[in-house]
Amino acid sequence: MAEAVLTAERVAKAFGAHKVLSDVRFRIGADEIVGLLGPNGSGKSTLLNIVSGFSRPDAGEILFLGKSVAGMPSHKIARQGLVRTFQLPSMPHRMSVREVLRAGSRDGAGLLQAFTGKGSDDAEAEELIEQFALAPLAHQPASSLSGGQKKLLSIAVALRSRPKLLCLDEPTAGVHPQLRGRMVELLKAFNKRGVAMLVVEHDMHFIRELCGRCIVLDRGEIIADCAPRELTENERVVEAYLGKSVAKQKVSA
Amino acid sequence: MFEFLIHVAIMACLYGLLSLSLNLQVGFGGLVNFGQVILFGCGTYGAAIAFSHQLGPVAGIALGIVFAVVVAAAFARLGRNLGADYWGIATLAVAEVLRILANNEAWLTGGAQGISGIPLLFGDMPRPMGPLMTLGLCLVLLLAAWWLCQRLTTSRYGLALKLMREEPQLAASLGYDLAALKTQTLMVAAVLAAASGFVFAHYITFVGPDQLVSSETFLIWAMVIIGGSGNHLGAIVGAILMQFLFAFVPFVKDALGLPSEYVAAMRLTLVGGGLLAFLMWRTQGLIPERIGGKQNG
Repeated sequence: MAEAVLTAERVAKAFGAHKVLSDVRFRIGADEIVGLLGPNGSGKSTLLNIVSGFSRPDAGEILFLGKSVAGMPSHKIARQGLVRTFQLPSMPHRMSVREVLRAGSRDGAGLLQAFTGKGSDDAEAEELIEQFALAPLAHQPASSLSGGQKKLLSIAVALRSRPKLLCLDEPTAGVHPQLRGRMVELLKAFNKRGVAMLVVEHDMHFIRELCGRCIVLDRGEIIADCAPRELTENERVVEAYLGKSVAKQKVSA
Repeated sequence: MFEFLIHVAIMACLYGLLSLSLNLQVGFGGLVNFGQVILFGCGTYGAAIAFSHQLGPVAGIALGIVFAVVVAAAFARLGRNLGADYWGIATLAVAEVLRILANNEAWLTGGAQGISGIPLLFGDMPRPMGPLMTLGLCLVLLLAAWWLCQRLTTSRYGLALKLMREEPQLAASLGYDLAALKTQTLMVAAVLAAASGFVFAHYITFVGPDQLVSSETFLIWAMVIIGGSGNHLGAIVGAILMQFLFAFVPFVKDALGLPSEYVAAMRLTLVGGGLLAFLMWRTQGLIPERIGGKQNG
């Protein structure tokens, strides 16, 4: 495995008396696409929020490119190259798809640069518009897109910021099945260009096609860290998803 | 009548500056500032305090800008942990506190009597050249402010502002420092409002706390909403339209044979009624914001 881009050590989080995460440890290599799985309420989104700075851990350490980012504000983490998308992407009413994509990059977005910058096209944004099949929608208000199109746009915007680690929160929810295949191809292509990924997802078919490794959370603990094809053989994973009796039947069979 | 029209045009330009300033904050940055009038007040009192200390107009504008930038920084600091609506209420409260301070700290501000006798900017010129020169200065200021706002909002900085306005979480996730963006925007807007206040003080020649009542803030809000929030030209058109409507209210009163006290009531009705009508039937204003317009950066 390549050098770690993200390392989590003994991360814990509780909301009142309810423990959401306890002793979570994992690492993601700079060349990896890792799936983050688990039943509803297992702590996936909380972990993603902590990693991306939208929530603070109660304990533990998170290293991004060797530097501690635990408890750091989200914008500072993003500036270092850890960018995330959201489960329910909300898009602006009064910005076009193209404008949102251009805003994905902070290059030249300083106050003084407004007076020094010259008019220029954003070739990277235009390329992403083509790759994500958003060209016919580029002039439309971003909020007018369908749920699936908003997902695509949110991934494209995150990629425009040139992340080193991209955290995707349920990228296929609401996306047309035909587009999922295209999404796998695109994400793999960006991974080859040096973007590591952590993907929270329920669609196992998508995970098998995209991810080389999976981390499974259940009730705030990591219960498996293996290749996607090994998941169905893992008793704890089957138990977490289908219950104890099914897990026993499956193992005895 | 000619001089009256010049007066109305000067006031329209000064309100145009305030309207541009508020539009930059609320129309682009989503900063619901209900304390806008106090940024204007920083300019008026900057001019007045400089005059009362025998300092020239250059010191007056410098003082006004310093006051405005400090208040803007305080507004921005205040908003760090508040939601947009609560922040708006907080700015209203701060503006009122500062107005009451101006009303009471007579040693500095002249108290309720204010400071009078501030010299006209072109006082040594015969009429109507003096007012015409003031109008020229106001037009230059308005054009410069429009260019500044246009440049800011058609750049990548403008895209960041729009993203902050509508999707702050998305903006933060892409690395935008929202606190810094708010502070910068408020400071730029504060300078525009202070410039308006400075010229106003040297035009009216009197500065007092009654010029800083919160209804003035809502008048500027009405100009932005009616003109078109998120469109600089809209903000200017809103200001000009409201000023000229206000100016002709006394003529309407005379034509209808109404008592004089109806003038203030009619103006309030214009502001309230206009706001309500546009919020209900044309939320985008007379000149709506352009979505996906040309970018400079």
